[in-house]
Amino acid sequence: MTAHSVATGTAAAVSRIAVVPGVLALLPDYPSRVDPVADLRAACLEAVRWVGAGGPVRVVGDAQGARVAEALLGAASVPVSGAGDGAAGVLVVANGTARRTEKAPGYLDDRAAGFDAALGAALRGADAEQLTALDTALAGELLVGHPAGWVELGSLLAQLPSGEWAADVLYDDDPFGVQYWVATLSS
Amino acid sequence: MLRLGRQTFADDQTLVMAIVNRTPDSFFDKGATWAEEKAHERVASVVAQGAEIVDIGGIKAAPGVEISAAEEKARVVDFVARVREEHPGLVISVDTWRAEVGDAVCQAGADLLNDAWGGADPELVDVAAQHDVAMVCTHTGGATPRTRPFRVEYEDVVRAAIDDTMAYADRAVAAGVREESVIIDPAHDFGKNTFHSLEVTRRLGEMVATGRPVLVSLSNKDFVGESLDLPVGERLIGTLAATTACALAGARIYRVHQVVETRQTVDMANVIAGRLLPARAIRGLQ
Repeated sequence: MTAHSVATGTAAAVSRIAVVPGVLALLPDYPSRVDPVADLRAACLEAVRWVGAGGPVRVVGDAQGARVAEALLGAASVPVSGAGDGAAGVLVVANGTARRTEKAPGYLDDRAAGFDAALGAALRGADAEQLTALDTALAGELLVGHPAGWVELGSLLAQLPSGEWAADVLYDDDPFGVQYWVATLSS
Repeated sequence: MLRLGRQTFADDQTLVMAIVNRTPDSFFDKGATWAEEKAHERVASVVAQGAEIVDIGGIKAAPGVEISAAEEKARVVDFVARVREEHPGLVISVDTWRAEVGDAVCQAGADLLNDAWGGADPELVDVAAQHDVAMVCTHTGGATPRTRPFRVEYEDVVRAAIDDTMAYADRAVAAGVREESVIIDPAHDFGKNTFHSLEVTRRLGEMVATGRPVLVSLSNKDFVGESLDLPVGERLIGTLAATTACALAGARIYRVHQVVETRQTVDMANVIAGRLLPARAIRGLQ
């Protein structure tokens, strides 16, 4: 995994960050009669509207995550910013492990719960140090959604002194054995 | 839009019509709902199972003891009135070919006249128009009500079914039945041998292509039994396979004995055809 680089000079302007999971069921490509992720979708849209309130939003995500971001931003009528445009808002598409239960996509791995607990604590604490130090090799084994995105989130948070960011977690659950968070971080 | 008396339905919606017999001798249930309370229980049961329509019949289709119009009315009219009262949102269909009976059941609250005998009584369309109810126009090849086919042959059974049902539909519209309230039915086994019913099933898409909503009545019929060499009572799986074929072709209404099994079959076929979304898909998309 390679962390996306953060261009100096643009990152300083970031004041709003939202985190959503890269759940493909959020895409319009995969519609159901009953939305299997209705609560998650509602939380994602709330976070996306919030992060987009200040203007265009830059997306941090892998290829699939970028599609999820585009769909959510589109649904919330928030424009997407280019990488070097100095957007104040950033949408990070990343999630926890996918090995939390026997029914999880990656089957049960006993290390998953502890990994997610630590990652969740880092998110809630807006802990730049913990996020940038994420064990991306283990994250890969545990099928974490876009580990590099978590590292980049840490880098973004590190642009300001510790304690300058406040996190608000709108969703924290693992309905399919995959850990999802929807969170907003403001400075 | 499809309008069935009091109710309207979107053009992409499939409907299950549950058979409720007020007869002592119909081929499948053999009088199971002849007792009036049993028939009411059957209605409540199929409504709970999700049937949008009940089709109430007072005379079995096969030959047998002659049932007068007065006797037919005695079997169905008060029954329809009570079903109307107990299930205000339910579409009530009555399986009759007689205008006199049709008039009485419409006054009692019927929404749809299912003329399984293809216009044998020319005044039935006028009754439907007067009461602003819907009509099912079936193809029987000109068969007399309650007769079995005997050495019937067609140049092209599907062409005949389309031409006759569309002509009957035009007659209904000319009489004043709403365009959106006319349904056509190839009538499997009516005036048809098994080969005819199979061909109609195979080529049902040609009937759907007319643009009129198509009803199919396949449930436990002889063409299923002869295809599989199975007696009445062992034809559910064959019925559901035929239902799949018709659903893929785009049939809209399914007249059935088994509601739950039919609804699942029709929905599955329509999900495969891409006309209906999966109920709740998350596998691999978490």
